Amino acid sequence: MASEEEINLLVIVVDVNPIWWGQQAQRATELTLSKCLDAVMVLGNSHMAMSRTNKLSVIASHFEDSHFLYPGKSWRMGDSCGDDASSSGDGKYELLAVANNLIAEEIRKVMSKTEVRGNSTDTLLAGTLAKALCYINRVSKEFEVGQEIKSRILVIKAAEDCARQYMNFMNVIFAAQKQNILIDACVLDSDSGLLQQACDITGGLYLKIPQKVALAQYLLWVFLPDSEQRSQLVLPPPAHVDYRAACFCHRNLIEIGYVCSVCLSIFCNFSPICTTCETAFKIQLPQMVKPKKKKLKQPT
Amino acid sequence: MAALSEEVLLVVKKVRQRKQDGTLYLMAERIAWGPEGKDRFTVSHLYADTRCQKISPDGKAKIQLQLVLHTGESTTFHFSNDSSALKDRDAAKELLQQLLPKFKKKANKELEEKNRMLQEDPVLFQLYKDLVVSQVISADEFWANRLGDTNHADPSLSNNKQEVGISGAFLADIRPQTDGCNGLRYNLTADIIESIFRTYPTVKEKYCENVPHNLTEKEFWTRFFQSHYFHRDRINTGTQDIFSECAKQDEQGLKSMVVQGVKNPLVDLLSLEDKTLDEGYGVCTTLPSTSNSNRSVKESSNSAIIKRFNHHSAMVLAAGSRKGETPANQASETSNTDGNSRDSVFFQPPVKKVKLKEAIEYEDLQRENRPKTVALNLKKSDRYAHGPVPLQSQQYTTSQDIINSVNYIQHEMVNYKPNLTQVLSSTTASSAIAALSSGGVLMQAATQQAINQMVPSEVQGELKHLYAAAGELLRHFWSCFPVNTPFMEEKLTGHLEEMLQTAYSKFHIWQTRRMLRKT
Repeated sequence: MASEEEINLLVIVVDVNPIWWGQQAQRATELTLSKCLDAVMVLGNSHMAMSRTNKLSVIASHFEDSHFLYPGKSWRMGDSCGDDASSSGDGKYELLAVANNLIAEEIRKVMSKTEVRGNSTDTLLAGTLAKALCYINRVSKEFEVGQEIKSRILVIKAAEDCARQYMNFMNVIFAAQKQNILIDACVLDSDSGLLQQACDITGGLYLKIPQKVALAQYLLWVFLPDSEQRSQLVLPPPAHVDYRAACFCHRNLIEIGYVCSVCLSIFCNFSPICTTCETAFKIQLPQMVKPKKKKLKQPT
Repeated sequence: MAALSEEVLLVVKKVRQRKQDGTLYLMAERIAWGPEGKDRFTVSHLYADTRCQKISPDGKAKIQLQLVLHTGESTTFHFSNDSSALKDRDAAKELLQQLLPKFKKKANKELEEKNRMLQEDPVLFQLYKDLVVSQVISADEFWANRLGDTNHADPSLSNNKQEVGISGAFLADIRPQTDGCNGLRYNLTADIIESIFRTYPTVKEKYCENVPHNLTEKEFWTRFFQSHYFHRDRINTGTQDIFSECAKQDEQGLKSMVVQGVKNPLVDLLSLEDKTLDEGYGVCTTLPSTSNSNRSVKESSNSAIIKRFNHHSAMVLAAGSRKGETPANQASETSNTDGNSRDSVFFQPPVKKVKLKEAIEYEDLQRENRPKTVALNLKKSDRYAHGPVPLQSQQYTTSQDIINSVNYIQHEMVNYKPNLTQVLSSTTASSAIAALSSGGVLMQAATQQAINQMVPSEVQGELKHLYAAAGELLRHFWSCFPVNTPFMEEKLTGHLEEMLQTAYSKFHIWQTRRMLRKT
């Protein structure tokens, strides 16, 4: 029998780009990756503690791949492996303890396996979001028919945007919008235009944190309530999103431009041939009004 | 005032209008009514202005005729002549029925169209009110742009109606019912009559000849059903029956059809016979001879029925393919009514080719002649990879930096153990909360109110209407370009200038009125 309560699934996507975090650590700033993960765990525990039917998933976004920190592949409810080592002595809700230990173990694995191959150093955020969407889709199919499941994705972003992921990113955003999945963003360092658009389109919250070290507080205050509860709370207002497109020729942001009707590429100036698809265009020039020849009046 | 030169078509006395006795006059172009004793008309309506007429239902005591005008008003005439009120009213109605359609001007249709457009589109209605009613722009100019498309749509509606075919069972549908006392009752509808006429043109001929001169319609049909022509056994009972000629003609027609044969070279009807291999394999019968002499009674009646059926089917099919009656060719049509191509015998080979081609090729499967399209040819497709995203300043890190950072972080995370009791200190937490509370750093934008919440909705509405009206004027302005005709020039410099001035002054008035209200 399907339970009456609806299930809330929170997927936390953590940007664990080692280069950025390594640089942070080298600069001896207060927020280290360990602290960040601690804050994420606090949020995850709180989310699971809010209701018995809440579900959690944590994915680490790396420059090599995306890795599920929680739930693990071999993890099943009531699995008794590793119980002795992982059972904490403080009488914590066992699910939380298991989750925390699993996350810690997985992140250690991920970090130790990191190799610099020199291909790219950008976080594969679009791919991770796609994986999150797939996971949400799988989970929603696993429940009984008629069981409502509400999902949202929280992205904790550290490194900068990668412009090359633009197309994939937009596809992910629109897919999430179609599935009614909110994408929230908590940005640590530099503003991300792509995530701003994602939050605007899917109806989530975008926040750039002024104090990195208070990450846990911001997460609990802003991102713990789900979408229904948010309407009752006073939260930071949505930021103004700059939707201006950049022209394909100079990559400048323009407000009015020319769009090729064949390949849809945007230009800031008119050119008779589109440089992307080589279509020729004709523009009608205003007709020249021929001056009328005035007949000289014959004096009568 | 009655014009002396008007032709009076009908005069009806004792017609009351608005409880006054009078006389109703129907003229060539208008209908008028004058009270008793006076010689001038108090009510006069042109037929062109009348939209429709209505009459009171038959059972009612009051016999009335009502004229509804295009403007919506209506005039009612009460026919109060004791003896002939109904006749008078009907006569008036008949005459009006003939006259009114003649005067239906197209202009009224336009007016209705305009009304309909205004009613359907509230935005258009508002624009109309703002611009035309307040005399910023003239009504003609307003409608000049809007009506252009819709007027020409209606005539192009195809007048080609598909012809309705004839049901093969129309004779059977008549379904005679017993009358009770040894009679039969046939129900004929107009459809059935039409089908009979179309299938059997000879019967139609007879009908035209005899009705209504010699026989009434009822008598004609009674005779038709009584005649043996209709019934199975076509025994000719002499020339008394008017339908015996039809029977003879039908026989002739059938004979000629058989002689003509089927034109389709791919169909060989003569080879369709029961073929027997030998005694015991299949049916072995002697072929029925077509000559009258050897027939038994049963065979002849069978062959008569079969003949009837074949003839009937052939006539039904022919009637369907016959397009347009040609009364002169009735006789020849009965002989040529086999639905297939009417090519003469001389054109045999092409017909065969055509038939073969039809059988082999399917139109749908042929290559379509679509207009040629141009394939998309992207030269610089990597532009789509980054999309319309502005170029951001790259932060270049040296490879050494990268290696260092990675090593550092790996070192840090090797011994990672979650320490959830020391995540946040109370001071940082409280400063974060302060930033998130109202008035805090992050909440600044929330205090700004959107402008649409500050301005009352009626002001917003009025402003929107003014904006739409201004847009409409601008549209007129831009439609004058390119300036081709002197009319455009004149419109631009004189007329439009005036319009814009009027519009501007209107806006100014509204603005000052609003400002006054505020203070």
